[in-house]
Amino acid sequence: MPVTVSIPTILRPLTHNQKRVEITGFSVLEVIEQMERQYPGVKEKLIAEGKAHRFINLYVNDDDIRFSDGLSTSLRDGDSLTILPAVAGG
Amino acid sequence: MITGSLRGAAPEFAAIASSLLYQSSALGMDIEEGENHTGDGALSFEFKTPHTAPVACDVAGWGEPSRQAAVTENIMQAACGLMAVHGRATGKSQSLGVNYLSTLTAALALQGGAAASIGQLRGLPLSNSRTSMASAGLLSVGQYIAGATASESPETLLPGRTPYLARLPFVSLDGVVFELETLDAGPWRKFWSEIGVSPAAAGRGWTAFLLRYAKAIAPLPDELPRAISKFSYYRISQVCARTGMAVCPVRAIHDRARDVDSKQLWLRGPWEFLFEADPGGRPSSPAANGLPLSGLTVIESCRRIQGPLAGHLLALLGAEVIRIEPPGGDPLRGMPPIAEGCSARFDALNRLKTIREIDLKSSAGRAEIREMVRYADVFLHNWAPGKAVLLNLSHEDLSAINPSLVYAYAGGWATDSAEHSSRSPMPGTDFMAQAYSGVARKIADASGTQGGSLFTVLDVLGGVVSAQGITLALLNRCMNHAGAKVTSSLMSAATLLCAEDFQNHYQLPGTRSHQKSLIDTVYATKQGKIAVECRDAGTAMRLADALETVIGIGEEGVQACMNDLFLSRTADEWAEILEQAGVPSAVVIEDLADLQTSAPMQPGLSPGSYTKVNSPWSFR
Repeated sequence: MPVTVSIPTILRPLTHNQKRVEITGFSVLEVIEQMERQYPGVKEKLIAEGKAHRFINLYVNDDDIRFSDGLSTSLRDGDSLTILPAVAGG
Repeated sequence: MITGSLRGAAPEFAAIASSLLYQSSALGMDIEEGENHTGDGALSFEFKTPHTAPVACDVAGWGEPSRQAAVTENIMQAACGLMAVHGRATGKSQSLGVNYLSTLTAALALQGGAAASIGQLRGLPLSNSRTSMASAGLLSVGQYIAGATASESPETLLPGRTPYLARLPFVSLDGVVFELETLDAGPWRKFWSEIGVSPAAAGRGWTAFLLRYAKAIAPLPDELPRAISKFSYYRISQVCARTGMAVCPVRAIHDRARDVDSKQLWLRGPWEFLFEADPGGRPSSPAANGLPLSGLTVIESCRRIQGPLAGHLLALLGAEVIRIEPPGGDPLRGMPPIAEGCSARFDALNRLKTIREIDLKSSAGRAEIREMVRYADVFLHNWAPGKAVLLNLSHEDLSAINPSLVYAYAGGWATDSAEHSSRSPMPGTDFMAQAYSGVARKIADASGTQGGSLFTVLDVLGGVVSAQGITLALLNRCMNHAGAKVTSSLMSAATLLCAEDFQNHYQLPGTRSHQKSLIDTVYATKQGKIAVECRDAGTAMRLADALETVIGIGEEGVQACMNDLFLSRTADEWAEILEQAGVPSAVVIEDLADLQTSAPMQPGLSPGSYTKVNSPWSFR
């Protein structure tokens, strides 16, 4: 089940400067676990204690995973997973 | 004491003078009417204390001393790109409708006088401080300029191009206009689920909602405002209480003026100072270089905009700012667009600081901060109310370690006490403070919208107010060797911004700058737009002469005729013609990247991996 993962600039040092990587997994969590095996250090930048960091947004195609099944959100062949640092102010 | 002919300021600078008078009288300064000294500024005053020689403070319209073209509040909002940032969500380039840049300029001018006086007390031969409305304008949109000029995927966000009609704020079934706020996706998801919106639409809405702070747009799916408009405000409040969402109606200034703390806040001014009674502090150290705060150390533990901007301004005055970030660094460093590996928007506020990663949750981390504070001059934070006490890093804790310390809090609401947070669950963010304070309604009335601006009006002004309060406390310390606590907030910035409205409401004496312009319009031209403002009949006549036609003011037909006339030439051509005629005008900057080539604004900018805004002050 390969999906395309878009990597934000801030994480590219971990992915050898690749903007997009192909990763296999049936859920967002599986993809992140697989990425961690290929690119050590990625996982702690994205999740802690089983949840995505508040300041990281993960989108499957265009949908924020927090509004579907979170890290368990299932993935289909050809889906894209986009990682975007959150924006905030105040 | 300040001396100058502030009460007789020219109409286009009356709002700056009025705000200067309000700020200096709130500080308890004596104001002496005097001649304008012979500076190059459009408005000048002298800042003096019993311990320092007079500092001549010049306030110019434009950044370049040689540029004498007429300028007003709204013309500068057009020229610096502020109209365009506000217009990203309102649909067109338009002014905020408040004396925003005048207020900012006044605060920067007063701070410049105080900073130069500190420089004198630390051995620098400073007798003049200069700032300008143009530099205040660029400072206000510095982060947005960074986003528009970043080397990697710069943003091009033009007014009126947001592809959704749905705009904030929301309106209930019974017609109440209100803002929602949460910093977490959880309450947002639960709230919209109870309102009956699908998770997919709520998710798209969350993405759009998050864009407000960084990009001044919020392209919400139509389903959200449509669904919420079927509920009464009372029911919406109940859903908010159940789901952890904060809600605040968009109130008018007169609603805010009736709050018990409002008049006191107006009388006190935008800062609350608590000076140490016992002057047991260190004497002033000499300046390390030509800047007045050089050699002073500021420790900053702030996130987002207001606090970091305050630290940035102190760094521009020469202070060494050590910024405390959580282990791994502030996540906002990764916020696109990126320039040289760091968020351009983040870098715009933090580029001059030294970073120290410290875990505030660990006792070792807190001990490290206490050790740093022992040798620091300023400690600045913007934690949630009550957190400083929990961390044992409150004013009492740190002044015991260092009695000379200036302890500063730049908050959302007017206090950092935990009592406030238990009474009001509203997060102290820009858009909530705009709604609560009356600023949003005032902007809405002027802009023909229902709510405030998605430009971070109060974060920016609050950052300037905080830096100004810290500088004033440092001046007091130089003179009296005593530390202080300085509290300022988005709410106090809102009161400052609308000081004249509150003054009118309370029927208090003071100067008033209000004078409605005869013409204050953005015209489309053959290429680009031009903003034109005529504050008096003489200027309107000069405009009429320049247009080679005779016009009466205020007739609809004439307006239409003027619309056609302006289409005959480009905005650049009109700017030249009107400058010759002495009519305040400016090409409206719609794409902030164009500032890099704008002759009047370029002197305030530095090119690089993104375009940086220079210091708003120069000293000699």
